[in-house]
Amino acid sequence: MQDRLKIALLLAPALIVILVLFFGGLGVGLLRSFNYMPVIGLNDPNLDAYRSLLSSPEVYRSFGLTLYIATTSTVIATVLAVATALLLRRSFPGRAVASFLVQLNLTIPHLVGGIGILYLFSQSGSFARLAHEYAVIAKPADFPALIFDPYAIGVILTYVWKEVPFITVITLATLQALGDDHETIARTLGATWGQAFRHVLLPQIMPGVLAASAIVFAFTFGAYEIPALLGASHPQALPVIAYRSFTDADLAARPQALALAMLIALISGLMIVVYSRALRGKGRG
Amino acid sequence: MARLRRVSAVLLIIWLILPLIPLAIWSFAGVWRYPNLLPQIWSYRPWSFALSDQSGVLSSLALTAGIALAVTLISVVIGVPAGRALGLYTFRGKALVELIILAPIIVPGIAVALGLQTVFIGLGLNNTVTGVVLVHLIPTLPYMVLVMAAVFAAYDPLAEDQARSLGASPAQVFRHVTLPAVLPGIVVGAMFTFLVSWGQYILTLTIGGGRVQTLPLIMFQFVVSGRNDITGAIAMIYILPGVLILILTARHLTGRSAALTGFGR
Amino acid sequence: MRTLTIAALLATTLAPIAHAETGDGAALIAMPWDKIVEQARGGTVNMFMWGGSDSINQYVSGYIGGILMADYGITLNRVGITDTVEAVNVVLGEKEAGVADKGAVDMIWINGENFRTMRQGDLVWCGYTDALPNNALINWENPAIANDFGVPVDGCEVPWSKAQFAFAYDSATLTNPPKSIPDLITWIKANPGQFTYPAAPDFNGAVFVRHVFYHAAGGAENLLGPFDQAKFDAAASKTWAILNDLEPYLWREGKTYPASITALDQLFANTEVALTFNYDASQFGLAVQNGSFPETVRSYGLTDGTIGNTNYTAIPFNSPNKAAAMVLQNLLLSGAAQVEKATPAAWGAAPAIEVDRMTAQDQARFATIEQLPSVVSMQDLGKAAMPELQADWISAIEQGWIANVGQ
Repeated sequence: MQDRLKIALLLAPALIVILVLFFGGLGVGLLRSFNYMPVIGLNDPNLDAYRSLLSSPEVYRSFGLTLYIATTSTVIATVLAVATALLLRRSFPGRAVASFLVQLNLTIPHLVGGIGILYLFSQSGSFARLAHEYAVIAKPADFPALIFDPYAIGVILTYVWKEVPFITVITLATLQALGDDHETIARTLGATWGQAFRHVLLPQIMPGVLAASAIVFAFTFGAYEIPALLGASHPQALPVIAYRSFTDADLAARPQALALAMLIALISGLMIVVYSRALRGKGRG
Repeated sequence: MARLRRVSAVLLIIWLILPLIPLAIWSFAGVWRYPNLLPQIWSYRPWSFALSDQSGVLSSLALTAGIALAVTLISVVIGVPAGRALGLYTFRGKALVELIILAPIIVPGIAVALGLQTVFIGLGLNNTVTGVVLVHLIPTLPYMVLVMAAVFAAYDPLAEDQARSLGASPAQVFRHVTLPAVLPGIVVGAMFTFLVSWGQYILTLTIGGGRVQTLPLIMFQFVVSGRNDITGAIAMIYILPGVLILILTARHLTGRSAALTGFGR
Repeated sequence: MRTLTIAALLATTLAPIAHAETGDGAALIAMPWDKIVEQARGGTVNMFMWGGSDSINQYVSGYIGGILMADYGITLNRVGITDTVEAVNVVLGEKEAGVADKGAVDMIWINGENFRTMRQGDLVWCGYTDALPNNALINWENPAIANDFGVPVDGCEVPWSKAQFAFAYDSATLTNPPKSIPDLITWIKANPGQFTYPAAPDFNGAVFVRHVFYHAAGGAENLLGPFDQAKFDAAASKTWAILNDLEPYLWREGKTYPASITALDQLFANTEVALTFNYDASQFGLAVQNGSFPETVRSYGLTDGTIGNTNYTAIPFNSPNKAAAMVLQNLLLSGAAQVEKATPAAWGAAPAIEVDRMTAQDQARFATIEQLPSVVSMQDLGKAAMPELQADWISAIEQGWIANVGQ
């Protein structure tokens, strides 16, 4: 019994902060998306905001774009990150530099990475100027449109640049905790490198990798500043139109903005399910 | 195989450094127009402007660091006990508690900040530094708890009992037994927390409302107004503290640290 | 030692800023000017204004802020925003939440739709402008000043600057830029990918669309006065047809538009497009001075005329620093500040007060201001000036563009 009290006291401050700030904010957002806020006189809740969202082709296009950005970024980043983790596992000349740079990348804010990608890949950016220098192109418009483009290539590049090190570090930590034993046994028993990877290593790191990917997916789905900086003017990512609706002088747009926010929360909520399932699977192996 | 490793490593290193190069060059550019590969005119002007009083960059640097430090401090004080509870004990409802604490890592800040702003306006916390510190706690606290839970999962409380039985007071037990053992975890958690707060944009924009001008907000304003030279200088200043922190804490990130493998037990 | 430093840092970031609060507007108006200045001394004023121009920021923070501190001991806190509507939203949100006396905003650089929103929502403080000594320098008889986009000012704001729309091009690479809307349309089709404009609701993008709208309506005279749905529909359908027709010939084939005027300026500076424009022609001079534009840039107005406006500063109803805000407004209106503002090095914007009401010294200084070659002179532009429409027309055109062209 005394243990339970101790546990409760240890957990209380953190739980209170998260319940009040996070769930409180989410709750108030939910209420306002129903246009229900008695404190300022909005007394009849309604589903108008959701109805107008569901009947707006603009919202569907934004949703589709955001889903595409999140999926593509996550898949590419995960694949590259596992490869990078395998690369950095063993020692080789230059490993210290590569490892340091991977960790350095973690400390660089997303916005800096986004601006760097902008300066590299825009039609008048560094790569375009290199192409012009070597007479591959004659004017900016000849260079492929990678920024402000319908395929959100610049956005995806930025996310890949930032999330690969994130997933790599987590995967490396998992690899270190696991040790080499199972793999070595498999190789001694005659398995090729590919077989050892697919049947021994991959299942072992999968829970950690999945968990990290879930975080990355949710993040890239709900992030604002990168699509705001590098995205096309139409369709825009969901968080961008949510914030734009929220800051619209027309107060009627406010419930819609919050409904969009709830939609973002819902999609990422699904990721929590994936994340916790992945973690529970971690117990095996 | 070894050659593949070397080539991939070189590509990786180049790729990781690449976006920082134009930023660095822009910070020394006086005039740099298409199609020149390097500035037509080099200049110290971006740096001298960025470091001057009128740009507000240095005071913003202090503000951003102050907020991140406050957030880190609060996260440590609140997160270490919670991590201990989750790492050392099993109890009914633990999965639910874990889910509650994890939720803010997954759910994007914008979903919460828009709703929270109304509450904060009413409480007078909107447009204040206190409000921004509070809202930064949302994405950072879970990371601290996560890391500490993993650390405590690998920690054996037996040493504490032994010290207590030898007559040590709880404060002495904490200072001489617990703290040294979990300090590496606290450092890693604090680093994550600091960096998450350091890089925050939308939360500060929504709750700070333009009055709390952290460095990413200032940098964003300069990049959208086309002042690439100043943006480059600010970007260099902006990544510096992160580099310093990394150098100071590097030894805690590598090595057999259970810190990043999630909740244990 | 470390704990002490952390605690000190915490204390400074969390400590509230203490200042003398002067939120009671009615009481202030009743006082003589000297007492108002005394009330304001040692205080702070939070000015929210578009922050996209470095030089304007420097003029306000450096020159104006310097005088404010040196002569009155008032701290000027300039808050840069990307769009004026952000500041309006802050006040709106505060009114909604019942914050009637401790608002975050003390002054907004504002005009047009945003001013109308604030008037309609009772968000702006009115009736105090006669108390400002420099109010005498303003010619309130001029309808272009007494009305902000057709909405009577009624003592709710004071003018700050005048602006008129102009185009810019690089004379080194382009010899004959199009000088009227029909010429521009022909030019765009003959030079695909060389032109674009910022998407509404960007302020400058929206005024460009209005030029096309005036052209489609056969001239501004047909549109003056209150909003007329029939007239709007007739002109709007022609405008959307023109703009949609042009889309395939625009930059990126119109699949995306630059997000703001500064994005368009960047495209122009990088030679991705051949023309740019701005509601404030002095911006071209500032860009040449800071090296973003080449020195060969020149600007011009259109033969059928370009739209001009006056912009203002307004004080929200719930500002807690009204006395300091009044002192700031008075300073902004002063002859010295307006002349300094007109110098190309500081900004280059036309004065909103009557030049012949300034002191002899200020008038002399104004007469000697050298125009930059890249900036078309205000007099030349002024010869063909078109008025802005009332705010209802403007929102309708904006919404119409977003619905019919932007998507």
